[in-house]
Amino acid sequence: MNSRAGAARQAGTALLWAALLLAPYWLPWVGGYTALGARVLVLGLAAMSLNFLLGFTGVVSFGHAAYFGLGAYGAGLTLKLLAHSTPLALFFGTLAGGIAGALLGALIVHLRGVYFAMVTIAFGQVFYYIAFRWNSLTGGDDGLRGFARQPLHFAGYAIDILNNGHAFYYFVLVCFAVTVGVMALILRSPLGRTMLAIRENERRARFLGIPVERHIWVAFTLSCFFTSLAGALYAMVNNFADPMGLHWSLSGDLVIMAVMGGMRSFWGPLVGAAVFVVVQDFLSSITTNWMSFVGLLIVLVVLFFPRGLLGLAQRRGEA
Amino acid sequence: MKKPIASGKIGRRTVLKGAAAAAVLQLTGPFVIRARGETPVRIGMVDPLTGVYAAPARNEVIGARLAVAELNAKGGILGRPIELLVEDSANDVGTGVQKARKLIDRDRVTFLIGDVNSAIAQAIAQVASEKRVLHIVSGGHTDTITGTDCKWNVYRVCNTTRMESNSVAPLLYKQYGKRWYFITPDYAYGHTLQEGFAIDAKKLGASILGDELAPLGTSDYSAYLIKARAASPQVLIVLPQGQDMVNCLKQIVQFGINKAIPVAGAQQELESLEALPPEARIGTWMFEWYWKQPGVPFVSEFVAAIRKRNGGKVPTARHWFGYTSVYSMALVANREKSLDAVKLARALSGFELPPEVKLQPNRVYYRAGDHQLMTSAFVGRAVARGIDDPEDLFQVLEVVPGDKTAPPVSETGCKVRWPA
Repeated sequence: MNSRAGAARQAGTALLWAALLLAPYWLPWVGGYTALGARVLVLGLAAMSLNFLLGFTGVVSFGHAAYFGLGAYGAGLTLKLLAHSTPLALFFGTLAGGIAGALLGALIVHLRGVYFAMVTIAFGQVFYYIAFRWNSLTGGDDGLRGFARQPLHFAGYAIDILNNGHAFYYFVLVCFAVTVGVMALILRSPLGRTMLAIRENERRARFLGIPVERHIWVAFTLSCFFTSLAGALYAMVNNFADPMGLHWSLSGDLVIMAVMGGMRSFWGPLVGAAVFVVVQDFLSSITTNWMSFVGLLIVLVVLFFPRGLLGLAQRRGEA
Repeated sequence: MKKPIASGKIGRRTVLKGAAAAAVLQLTGPFVIRARGETPVRIGMVDPLTGVYAAPARNEVIGARLAVAELNAKGGILGRPIELLVEDSANDVGTGVQKARKLIDRDRVTFLIGDVNSAIAQAIAQVASEKRVLHIVSGGHTDTITGTDCKWNVYRVCNTTRMESNSVAPLLYKQYGKRWYFITPDYAYGHTLQEGFAIDAKKLGASILGDELAPLGTSDYSAYLIKARAASPQVLIVLPQGQDMVNCLKQIVQFGINKAIPVAGAQQELESLEALPPEARIGTWMFEWYWKQPGVPFVSEFVAAIRKRNGGKVPTARHWFGYTSVYSMALVANREKSLDAVKLARALSGFELPPEVKLQPNRVYYRAGDHQLMTSAFVGRAVARGIDDPEDLFQVLEVVPGDKTAPPVSETGCKVRWPA
């Protein structure tokens, strides 16, 4: 039975990758568009990065938008002021959010539960107000404009990811695949197992001699690096960065995506992000009260599928 | 040997799944593409239908819909019907950008209109220019849209902030004096509007005692107002818009500040005055368009047509913006017999609006150098209660033509670069 569940899971993963690979071709048939696919990938990556901490280490952060937004501003400012290079922008964007996460993480890892969550919100809002107020650098409330992703150059080949929507989607997909692959590798490594142990029973882990704080810090930092990479990609999806990308409400959205999709499963947050983004995209064209429907959906999921959309499917598979 | 509780064939999960499937089915409806005789020309409109600018945004949409209905009755664009697709930007720049991409990528719109919020207007102008779509900014006022950030494909109907400050600043100086204090919304529109006033102040010899930058969506202005009163200026210049303007003016009257210091500003809108209690309808302002213009042709017809669609209420400047944006696109496309963005953008340079669209006494045209519509400023005073009509809340003192209020193109910083 175990092997059958394993086979089903592998088939599911293969199906998922096939769907992602072919998205630009099937999306228009169901009323989507390629930019929507890229948005799902980016927000899905952010939600999965958050879930790396939330679902696999058991630490709730409500301030991950800060690192997402820092990644976006880092990438945007690199493209605008430093160099017209997409890889460099991704690199500096990821570094900006990741380093901020590493520094702040060191300050707050000894906090637990709601206190940890509160402090992460507070730090997030600090970055929000800095971006909001620093008009000369960030453009303030108007957001950061005047930059655009640049074509990629590979040994004489140039891939135009600016004007070719499909090429850009595949660029995002490659970044997504690499990051998700690293995440999966870490989760299978002894470090990942230790994180699970901390999630399951922190006191027992401590008695086993595991330096819990240091592990939580490592998990937090890694999660921030992944999130800010997603943020850097987000800046390129829109060719734009704004303070709302740092706002706590986006942190909340990311948590909602993770919870809705299923915190305990690796792919859950991606499913949650897909549902969230697609529902928002379609409903907001139909009614101005779309937020109420998104809210209703979340209430329904939490009431009826406490393990998330993917959690439900998996339990069925195991039963 | 326990039996499952739900032994019937339909379990809880089946019901849930059925409900979920039914819910999903509700969403699939709009995707089905129906066969149509003639493919319509699509105009996308991004406006903040929710948030502090909801009222002006909705009115722009009503105006645009009226124009679409009138044009479709006359044969649409190049004989094809016009379809208006409206998206809510939720007064958030990121959402606005997403919606603009959606309209261009998925819905393949030929033209784009929007947004009331200057920051969103500027951001979607960037998207439109990247995608080479002709874009008319209906109601975002910040200077840079037709200034340093101007683009070959972007035209603007509403005034620039410089035009607004230029239209009222001389009057404020003459009526009240030279010591000015500002309450300014903290984003693109407010910053550039106050800069405009600063330039005027320098020219006129007035001095700026101070300014309070209030974030968009501020509900409590008391801290700013206390500081403003302490500075005892000769005029308090109130620049926030929409709901922010309503809150600010209400609190000014509550604190009795208007008894000591005259209140004025640049842009005022009928939407805001109507949302205020009569005692708070105070100050000297400029309207960008006013519905009561005796003797000007076609205005009364427009007012009557909007009243029918607007629950009996008169049109505001916002209705006219939406109306004019759609008409500009349709008129120029029908004249050029083309939908090519570059060709139409070139044709709009210097394009003059006919009397049935301009609906004001002066000459109205898109200036070639910066793509700004030279539209008049209606300078006057707010009135507590309308005399003939409950919505006649503004007394127009002067209608200043756009080429008088707009700074010369050389001062805007705009250099239009056309695609090769």
